[in-house]
Amino acid sequence: MRLPKSLMAFSLGVFLITLPTVGLLPQGLLEGGSSWLLALVLAGVVAWGLGEMFFGMTWGGPMKHAFAGALHLAFHRRAERFSTKKGGAGRSTGLKALNLEDEAAPLGVEKPADFTWNQLLGFDACVQCGRCEAVCPAFAAGQPLNPKKLIQDMVVGMAGGSDAAYAGSPYPGKPVGEHAGSPHGPIVALQGKALVDADTLWSCTTCRACVEECPMMIEHVDAIVDMRRHLTLERGKTPNKGAEVLDNLIATDNPGGFDPGSRLNWAADLNLPLMADLKQVDVLLWLGDGAFDMRNQRTLRALVKVLRAAEVDFAVLGTEERDSGDVARRLGDEATFQSLAKRNIATLAKYRFLQIVTCDPHSFHVLGNEYGELGGDYQVRHHSTFIAELYEAGRLAFAPWKGGSVTYHDPCYLGRYNGEYEAPRNVLKALGIEVKEMERSGYRSRCCGGGGGAPITDIPGERRIPDMRMNDVKESGAELVAVGCPQCTAMLEGVVDASAEVRDIAELVADALVERPAGDASDGPRRPAATTTAEEVTV
Amino acid sequence: MQPDRQQQQQGIDVAVLVSIGRHPTTGRARRAEQDARGLELALAMEAELPGTRISVLHAGPQADDSESALRGYLGMGLESMTLLEQPAGSDAILSLVEHLAATSPQLVITGARAERGEGSGLLPYALAEHLGWPLVNSLASIEKVENGVVTLLQALPRGQRRRLKVRLPAIISVDEAAPAARQSAFGPARRATFAVTPTTPEADSELAQWQLALARKRPKRLKIVKAASARDRFKAAAAKSEGKGGQVLTDVTPEQGAEAIYKLLKEEEVLR
Repeated sequence: MRLPKSLMAFSLGVFLITLPTVGLLPQGLLEGGSSWLLALVLAGVVAWGLGEMFFGMTWGGPMKHAFAGALHLAFHRRAERFSTKKGGAGRSTGLKALNLEDEAAPLGVEKPADFTWNQLLGFDACVQCGRCEAVCPAFAAGQPLNPKKLIQDMVVGMAGGSDAAYAGSPYPGKPVGEHAGSPHGPIVALQGKALVDADTLWSCTTCRACVEECPMMIEHVDAIVDMRRHLTLERGKTPNKGAEVLDNLIATDNPGGFDPGSRLNWAADLNLPLMADLKQVDVLLWLGDGAFDMRNQRTLRALVKVLRAAEVDFAVLGTEERDSGDVARRLGDEATFQSLAKRNIATLAKYRFLQIVTCDPHSFHVLGNEYGELGGDYQVRHHSTFIAELYEAGRLAFAPWKGGSVTYHDPCYLGRYNGEYEAPRNVLKALGIEVKEMERSGYRSRCCGGGGGAPITDIPGERRIPDMRMNDVKESGAELVAVGCPQCTAMLEGVVDASAEVRDIAELVADALVERPAGDASDGPRRPAATTTAEEVTV
Repeated sequence: MQPDRQQQQQGIDVAVLVSIGRHPTTGRARRAEQDARGLELALAMEAELPGTRISVLHAGPQADDSESALRGYLGMGLESMTLLEQPAGSDAILSLVEHLAATSPQLVITGARAERGEGSGLLPYALAEHLGWPLVNSLASIEKVENGVVTLLQALPRGQRRRLKVRLPAIISVDEAAPAARQSAFGPARRATFAVTPTTPEADSELAQWQLALARKRPKRLKIVKAASARDRFKAAAAKSEGKGGQVLTDVTPEQGAEAIYKLLKEEEVLR
């Protein structure tokens, strides 16, 4: 506790100096040799106090956080986050692209000094309030990650030294005092230990709960991905299935290594319109890699049924579609991401469409927020948003809900990344469902554990993140959890002995579809339904 | 490994022959699976035996498509690769023999079979014949190098292993029994350079006479399992299907042998 003392010294010193000017000092005290001594002492005391103000930021006290924090906020890497615009405009969640054209440019962050200066300011701004630690799903699962400790490790690395003085919770399973680093030493050691271990960086699900929670607006996820980029692009050390998934993405444009020609096999009986035939539509339906997953194919079929019921003019890219690059980018493989993104952008440039609709929030985020930097600007909508709009326009009608109680799990890439909390709830409301909210929902929703390549790198912990999330569902008392993301569906359905059923919003909507009331003029621009059921319209 | 043994071990010159692979589903150029395993063996050897020098050789044309595939090998942690430049369709064996004879590495590692072109798997044998070096196929691991003798572990069918001592120089070929190749990293792959050596190419006259056609997928023989218990089913699943009605021919003339093979191919409807 140095700050109160130095502040007190400063104020006392100034107080004493001002006494003579107001004539409160006894005469004679300021004459002779003692007066010089007193003046020197007072000057010293005031200098100490002032020093705290000006140099204290490097002494590591509270003034460091105040100065670094103020500068960090003033020169924040994502100035857009301070926008006052309502809705999604005030958020900035897309990762920054690496410059791959310039061969001299570093690929990711190897040493603490490789971070940009405003990122380093952000680390110094950390006041160790621990809110990130409290919301981190990996920390809660006992995986070796603690966002607060990670930021402090970067501070330690910049100063040089060991983490032995860190007083908070360590990374689970990794006692403090074993790791040390320096500004120009590697963060992750080639062999042995350096500042942090690789599995700490690979534990992150990129859910951004820490970023959302941080009062100093520190960007933990960007820093983690920067360090992952070095591990993947320079060292070729993506753990577990990472290398295989990246190789598959390079060779087959999908993470599973499936034949790209079989991307539309699930829809063999649906007779989906292709962009290649139509060239111009209102809605481009982006399937995502869920097209290869039998569970997600059910969601996709439901979504197609809904789009047809609402008579939406849509088409799919079919076999021309590739992985959006989300997984490659979160695993640090910026080169594969940019390769996929550029080819997708070239494909999309061939066609005309008003908007892209997808049931995968990861594709939604990447197409909407990360392709812009590479030259692809699209109007992208999540299927829940689109269905909510269709309903409001009176193009869908639902039978009343007869099932049990329902809760809703916010996907990170839809909620925290894109600010869409309302539309899925509006759809559920339109279905006649009253959502029983979980304790952690909305912008504080807990991750399912499926983001950021975490199921691929699969860092062991004490618990599984989806198990904890299903426990949240259980505590809400709901019999069914509505989701809006193929990853969340896969993770939550993988929970053994779960108390609730997992259904995608598209499936709930497709099940509740009824014929629109014919000639109902009171309810918006509803057109009379031509045929008996939605499915028969299209066949 | 004991320290005294390490004293005797010395690093050697290893040449790894790499080709341009072909992804089985998409047909895209990539680092070939077996060649990459061969390079992995060499890199592991370099880590264990200080002083080991690896040179990577590829004989083929210089093109963008092949370059990105070759950089896949370089991304495993190499600084450069020697490219014996020759037009597509030239015989790689002659230029490789010439280069290997000139540089005289002690160990040559190659994949068992290329993923493109003929893919006959004859290259290691042809090299061994030309150079007069011993050849060991289907290598599982390199155990040690002592006084010009390398101890190898060779993979045999059904998980068996055979330890071999081979005098250097030698050629070894690698298939799926060798450890899987490490991840190829983008940064090192991009920085690495090619040392282009022009060769006096000789057109592959035999290949030019061949007619190439896409391979048909061979029909799989159905394995009918009539098992009463789980144990029987497991045994049936784990067991290698035993050939029935085969015969062992010993001491026969080449004509008799060829006739027996011809008869079998007819029976199996491989030849019609």
